[in-house]
Amino acid sequence: MNKQEWLNLALAKLHPGQWFGWRKEDDNGNKIPNNERMTYENIIVHDSTLTKPTEDEVNAKIQELKDKQTAFENKQSSGKQKLKDLGLDDDEIQALMGA
Amino acid sequence: MAFIGKQPGKAAITSTDITDGIITAAKLASDSVTTAKIADNGVTTAKINADAVTDAKIADDVVGSEHLTAGEVDTTALGADAVTAAKIADNAISEEHLDATVVTGLTALAAEPADTDEFLISDAGTLKRIDYSYIKGGGITMADQWRFTANTDNSSGSLGFDITSNLEQVDTAPQGTIGSAMSESSGIFTFPTTGFYFVKFNIQWQMNGDGDVRQGGGEMNWTTNNSSYSTIVDAYNGCNNHGLNYYSGAEMNAIVDITDTANQKVKFRAYNSASNATCMGSSSANHTYMTFIRLGDT
Repeated sequence: MNKQEWLNLALAKLHPGQWFGWRKEDDNGNKIPNNERMTYENIIVHDSTLTKPTEDEVNAKIQELKDKQTAFENKQSSGKQKLKDLGLDDDEIQALMGA
Repeated sequence: MAFIGKQPGKAAITSTDITDGIITAAKLASDSVTTAKIADNGVTTAKINADAVTDAKIADDVVGSEHLTAGEVDTTALGADAVTAAKIADNAISEEHLDATVVTGLTALAAEPADTDEFLISDAGTLKRIDYSYIKGGGITMADQWRFTANTDNSSGSLGFDITSNLEQVDTAPQGTIGSAMSESSGIFTFPTTGFYFVKFNIQWQMNGDGDVRQGGGEMNWTTNNSSYSTIVDAYNGCNNHGLNYYSGAEMNAIVDITDTANQKVKFRAYNSASNATCMGSSSANHTYMTFIRLGDT
């Protein structure tokens, strides 16, 4: 995933529901190019009960997700290895794990 | 002349005294033969020099059509604008006599014709006129597309959510739309005009590795009274949830007959069987999006 995709996902994981969106126009009313909208600066908070998270909070969530993904992939690898050690071949492991 | 005896009296020479055929042209004075000396019908074609009869020698309105050889009247003999409509036989103007400027020389309409604007048509060989209202609708006059712009997770314990915000008409080059746009308010879409529409909903989910997602999909919910909604189309997909790089998508569509734009509307619902998936949205690419194409009149 690229930087924008990580940001988009991290915000979704901070709170459930449609609590945030993206600015499409800058302060002067000019259209923000599509590839520049999904940035921290252009976050809009729709839910009045919430406040915009700090950039540090967002970055921490991004790192949490990346760590979770890394840990998941590590568990996948170690799990596969343990299955191999038990004598399963790759096809059997894939049949069990789906990956 | 000398003579003997009494001199004879003078007597006039009569025509009998002149031998036939002895008066030569030289014995006639110039311009001495008057019209009265020419017998009726006495002047034959052979007595007229080539090109000798000038325009001034032809009385007004005396040249009848029987004096014109077939094919002899050419365009130089016709004055500008001399051929009136009455001089053209019925059904005589065929395509070879029409120039492209019959069309290109006219003022362009530069807009969709009105329903009562008319076209020329050959109806099994008979020329007729036809109103635009009978022939319009052959092409797509309206195509619109919207998308969900921000990732969203379910509220804990819920099985999906109505998409009520973060919707935009697609605007990433070269994306585009045709004709009148859908209008949207709090996720409820209103059609610009009545007619048959093809409506398609694509939805995409991203997993987070917390467990398999048995159902990730969406629903189209329609109202016919601008109040109560029911699902007439849905689609789901399952996915083994092995991390953030696992995705599930679903696509659904419907053909609807919109006869009342004030009461017949649609909204979209993102549905999944667990709260561990994210409905994907983006303001730069289509992940979860709605397509509306007008097919024709109701």
